[in-house]
Parts: sequence; structure tokens; C-alpha cells
Amino acid sequence: MNLNINAQKAQTFDAIVVGSGMTGGWAAKELTEKGLNVLVLERGYEIKHVEDYKTAMLDPWEFEHRGKITTVAAEEHYASMFFSAKEGSQLNFTNDKEHPYIQKRPFNWIRGYHTGGKSLIWGKHTYRWNREDFMANAKEGLGIDWPIRYEDLVPWYTYVEKFVGISGQAEGLAVLPDSTFLPPMAMTAPEAHFKKSVAQKLNRPITMGRVAHLTKPQPWHTAVGRASCQFRNRCTRGCPFGAYFSSLAATLPAARSTNRLTIIHNAIVQEIILDDHAQKAKGVRVIDQNTMEVRDFYAKVLFLNAGTIGSTSILMNSKSARFPNGLGNDSDQLGRNLMDHHLAVGARADIPGFEDDHYFGARPGSLYIPRFRNWGKDKRDYLRGFGYQGGAARADWSRGGTEPGFGADFKKKMTQPGPWKMSLTGFGEVLPDPNNRFYLSPDKTDKWGLPQVVFDADFSANDRAMRKDIMNDGAEMLEAAGFKNVVPYDNPAAHMGLGIHEMGTARMGKDPKTSVLNKYNQVHTCKNVFVTDGSAMASASNVNPSLTYMALTARAASYAVAQLKAKSL
Amino acid sequence: MNRREALSRVSLMLGGTLSAPTLLAFDRWNQTAPQNRINGASMLTEEQREIMARVTELIIPKTDTPGAVDAGVPDFIEIMLRDCYAKPAQDVFLAGLSDLAGNRFLTGSADQQTTLLKQVEAQAIANAKAGSVSFWQLIKELTVWGYFTSEAGVKASFDYQPNPGKFEAIKIKPGQKDFMYGNQV
Repeated sequence: MNLNINAQKAQTFDAIVVGSGMTGGWAAKELTEKGLNVLVLERGYEIKHVEDYKTAMLDPWEFEHRGKITTVAAEEHYASMFFSAKEGSQLNFTNDKEHPYIQKRPFNWIRGYHTGGKSLIWGKHTYRWNREDFMANAKEGLGIDWPIRYEDLVPWYTYVEKFVGISGQAEGLAVLPDSTFLPPMAMTAPEAHFKKSVAQKLNRPITMGRVAHLTKPQPWHTAVGRASCQFRNRCTRGCPFGAYFSSLAATLPAARSTNRLTIIHNAIVQEIILDDHAQKAKGVRVIDQNTMEVRDFYAKVLFLNAGTIGSTSILMNSKSARFPNGLGNDSDQLGRNLMDHHLAVGARADIPGFEDDHYFGARPGSLYIPRFRNWGKDKRDYLRGFGYQGGAARADWSRGGTEPGFGADFKKKMTQPGPWKMSLTGFGEVLPDPNNRFYLSPDKTDKWGLPQVVFDADFSANDRAMRKDIMNDGAEMLEAAGFKNVVPYDNPAAHMGLGIHEMGTARMGKDPKTSVLNKYNQVHTCKNVFVTDGSAMASASNVNPSLTYMALTARAASYAVAQLKAKSL
Repeated sequence: MNRREALSRVSLMLGGTLSAPTLLAFDRWNQTAPQNRINGASMLTEEQREIMARVTELIIPKTDTPGAVDAGVPDFIEIMLRDCYAKPAQDVFLAGLSDLAGNRFLTGSADQQTTLLKQVEAQAIANAKAGSVSFWQLIKELTVWGYFTSEAGVKASFDYQPNPGKFEAIKIKPGQKDFMYGNQV
């Protein structure tokens, strides 16, 4: 009897955080710094910052396939092999063959099951959402209204931005509110020309992409071991300088330094253990992905940060007499309103001239063109809007693969910079739609006996109408700059998920009848469970979402600790 | 200069020092850098290997800098065919080599070989269609990729900068070598 009590004690913490990625790292940092003993459960293998970035410092010739995708890797990364199966970074992406999912409608589910999750491999564009983003649902009568407004998040945006370190240029635009910035990255000569031309002829502002890279590290960055961006642009292999923000480089070291952090790897959370009577979570049941051993861990408060699909799956799989359809699912909203950003659409062009212009360094960032459609007086026949990422660069030696010719002259030509080219890629807002959803398969399981995820979602007529504008407006801007051979493009092979901005499926809202989480990301009907990743989103904006997840997480953690101290949880 | 020394210098330039675990990690990388190798039997005959090597050398010949054969491109192409292409593309590649063998490619003079390859290229361009790949496309792309990512090719061809440390817009002179940063793979 005593033994059992001791065992339970050893596995009891103040808080459990499920997931060690973008938001899990923030939950761990905030909760430990506020004095809680925190257990972080990571379902994947351990990646140690710096020493496990095994390909980060390799030269091109040290890769057996020189970075190309092997047929074996392509089969293992069926969600989207284009970058997740590449030789230099495939260990930082999840092997889909080992972690299968079902596509009732096609879905690119790109994951990072390891320490740091997708914070190790994210695109790093970092933007505040704007005031309209939090009001559009209410104004248009779509989905449900957000229970918070931009103003609720402002102090939390400011708070996380300082710690993250975001390079960018303040512009004073309502459509793209400024963050606290480190110096912006430089533009190439044709990019500066493009910015000027588009401002003059079309009155559209363009700014340098706001990316979470340290261009000028501050003392609080170097204190956790981070250094300046080296402009190698090998980021998806992991950065040994800790120059881009990841939980591995920043939040987890901060949490570790409190001595109140425990991380357990290979720990797949099967379900939340519920005290049905009290309508409170007691802890979680975990399967070791290697040994299959099942263990329980207990805590006063749980933070689900397993990624949009991961967190909602855990809620769905946590069934009890009180919650026969999944924890907190009285509203039947779990899994619904799955959103992403639609992309792989835009325009490209050749840039004449600028022969004596070049750049030194490999820039891990691009230009950003903020939304201008359905903004201010502009009205279109679809709802919401889009922004662009893109840039101008000189073609390199790899153009030789398709350029005609061979022999000594051809060889020499390829050692010199090629012509300038520019490409713009749109990121469009996807609307909440209850029929865009995922659910747990009733019969198909993975090797741990957990139900497989079934995706049933697609782009809508609104998205398709917007994509026409993304192509045409992109082409118009490239033409305004005097660029040639302008080609609009729309890749039909891009499905939902390819944006890797999965959002929704456990949305925040004011009314428990139509939402899963309240305004502090608490499950309405199970108050000591917080969900603070993309699953909480009630709409998708058209800008990258990670900064908003981070702000929501820090805010929720602060609230949770205050509630614990007030004994309200 | 090995990786550890290179990185230590970078860190000095940054005005800081790297932690002991970081330096240990660099040592470990030095020990585990993969070596190119060919496992098992080749899928090519000796004659096919000779033809392939000759074609790659005509695409990127030895000049005042190393050529495709010096840079190990033929071995690289075999690895790529084995590991990165499915049977249909492998068959196209083998058929292309057989066609050249049938045209007595190896016994021709350098000029004759070049003329024949120009015909092969012209036909490939004329018959190109989406969703299919020709022998010429395969060998051309693989030769270019293999050469310009090889140690000999990179060091002879470019201003290789594995750790640029900054990004800035600059002016260049006509004929100046391009930079390479090693992030293309």
C-alpha cells in the first residue's frame, strides 16, 4: 500500500505539459518560472540542442545523395516529401509510414515528433494578428466570435516578442501591427526597386519579412546560449548557433534553468485521466513508444500543446461517463472547423538588368506584402484576404540542369551568377467550416493501439476565388516593377495541410454550447485542462500563426498559476 | 582547418566562446561524416560505365579546373540511379546508354562524340513532355548536380562560404565567380 502511494507521489507534478514544441516550450517556461514543478511529455525521440543537429555543419559533398530525396525516404514521408524527405533534414520530420493517417480527402499532415516539435523546422515568419482578425467572424456572421480582442493580446505579444527575438522593420500599418523588433534583414537591389515601384504605382506597402532570427542578440538571448544568425540558411537541419527561435534553443533551456523542469521523451499521451465526479483532470495515461509500457502521471493542471491535431485527438480519445464523445465535447465541436492557410499560388518573373548587383550570404527570410484585399475600402466577391512572401535572387549553378548546352563554355557559365528572378507566394485565409474536420477512425489503429486520424477537409469556393486574385495581383505587381516573362501559377497538387498552419478543431468561444475552450484557453467543462496551440483558433487570419499561439500560451499560463494560487483550480 | 577550428573562429568573431557541449558536438560530427560508397554490384556493364563516364566528361570537361570524372560524377550517378529513381527512369537511362553503344559512341573521335550528343540533346528537347523523363535530362541533371556539389567541383568553381556570417547587397565585377553557401542541398 505504502509502495503504491510513493509511486503515485513520484509521478505527481504541479503541472503537466503535453508536447515540447512551439507552445509546449512556452508553457514549460512560464509555469516553471512561476514556481511550478512541471513535467513535459514529448511523444517523440529526444533531439539535443546543437549536438543532435548532425547534418547542420556538413558540406554538400558529405551527403551521399547530395541532399536529394531517395525513393525510400519519399515512401516514408508521404505527407509531403518535397522538403520533409530531404537528406539533410528528414530526421527532423516525422516518418509518416511509422505514424500513418487516413485521407478521406487529401491532407498534407507534416509533423515533427521529437523534442522541439515543429519549432525546429518552422518557417519563422512571425507576425501579430490585427484588430480585424479577431472581429471578422462576428462582423460576417461566420463561425463564432472570438472571446478575446487584439487588445487582450497586446501585452502578451510584447512579452513573447522580446524573448523570441524578431527581426523586422516597424511600418505603423494597421493591417500588420508592428512587433518589438531587432534590425531587419537586408533587401537585394531588385527587391528595393520592387518595393519602390509597387508603392508608387499601386500604393501597396512592402516590408522585409519579420522572422524569428537574432540579427542583434540581446542579453536575455545570449543568457540562454543563443547567438547571431550566420546567414547559412540551413535552418531545417537545426541551428547550432540557436539563432532562430525554437523551444530547443530558447524556452526549454529557460525552463531547465529553474530546476523545476522534467522532460520525458517517447511518451505518447493516450488519454486524460478524469475525475468524472469533480469534472477535473487528474493526470494523463502515457504509452512509451519503444517499450509499450503504460504509465500514469498526475498533476493539478494540464496544458495540451501537442499541435492542433495532436491536442484535439487526445481530448477525443479521453472518454468517460461524463464525456462519452471526448473530453469537453458537449458542443460536438471537437475536430471541426479545421483550417490552414492556402498557398502554392502566386506569380513569378524574370528580372532584366541588375547584372552587377549581387548579395553576400544566404538569407533565411523574404519580403512580406501585407494584405490589401477586403481591407479599407477594397471589396471583393470573396471574404477575407491574403499576404505574400517572396523575393528576388540570382539563379545559381543548378540552372544548368535544365539549361541547354554542355562542354567547357557551359561549365564556365555555371560558375557565374545567373539572371535575377522573382517569385511571390500567397498565403490566404481559410474560413471556418464545420464540415472541414478530422475525426478518429472507428477501426484503424496505429502500432500503439491508438485510433488513426481521418482527415475530411478541402479548400472552398471562397479560397478558389481568392486564389485568382493572388495570381493576378502578384502578376500585376511584378509588371509594375518592369519585370518580364511574368507567369501566374496555381499548383493543383497543394492540399490543405501544406501550409503547416493547422488551426481550429477545439475553438475558443464565449458559449460552451458552441465552443470547447473559454477566453483563457480552458476547457469550458474541465477547468484544469488548458489547450493553447493552434487548435484553439476560431479563425485563421492570413498571417503566420505561431506568435499568436505563443502569446495565448503565456497568457493562459499566467492565468492558470493565478487560479492555482487562489485555489480556484 | 577542421570544423571545430572553423567554428571556434566564428565564435571568436562573434565575440563569444562556444560551450563545451557545442565543441564536443563538433568533434562528433567530424568523426561521423558519411563517406560516399557503392554497395553491392553495379547495375551497369563495363561498357555502359565507360559510356556514362565519357558523356559526363563531355558535359563538364576537365579544363583549367577538374572535370566530371575527376569529381567522381560517374560513381555519384550510379548511387543516385540506385537510390533515388524507380525502375522506369532506370530503364530509360539504360536504354539511352544502349543507344549510344549501338551508335559506336566510344570509338568515335571527340568531335564525333560531341556531334552525337548534340543530336541526343536536340531530340530530347524536341520530344520533351511533362511527366516523362529522357536519358539526356537524367544524365545532364545528374552530372550538373553531382559536379557542382562535389568537393572538387565546389572548390574549383565557386567562392565557397559555408558560414557567411552576414547578409548584404553587394556589387560584383563582370566574370566574377558566384558564391556558394552549401544550403542548396
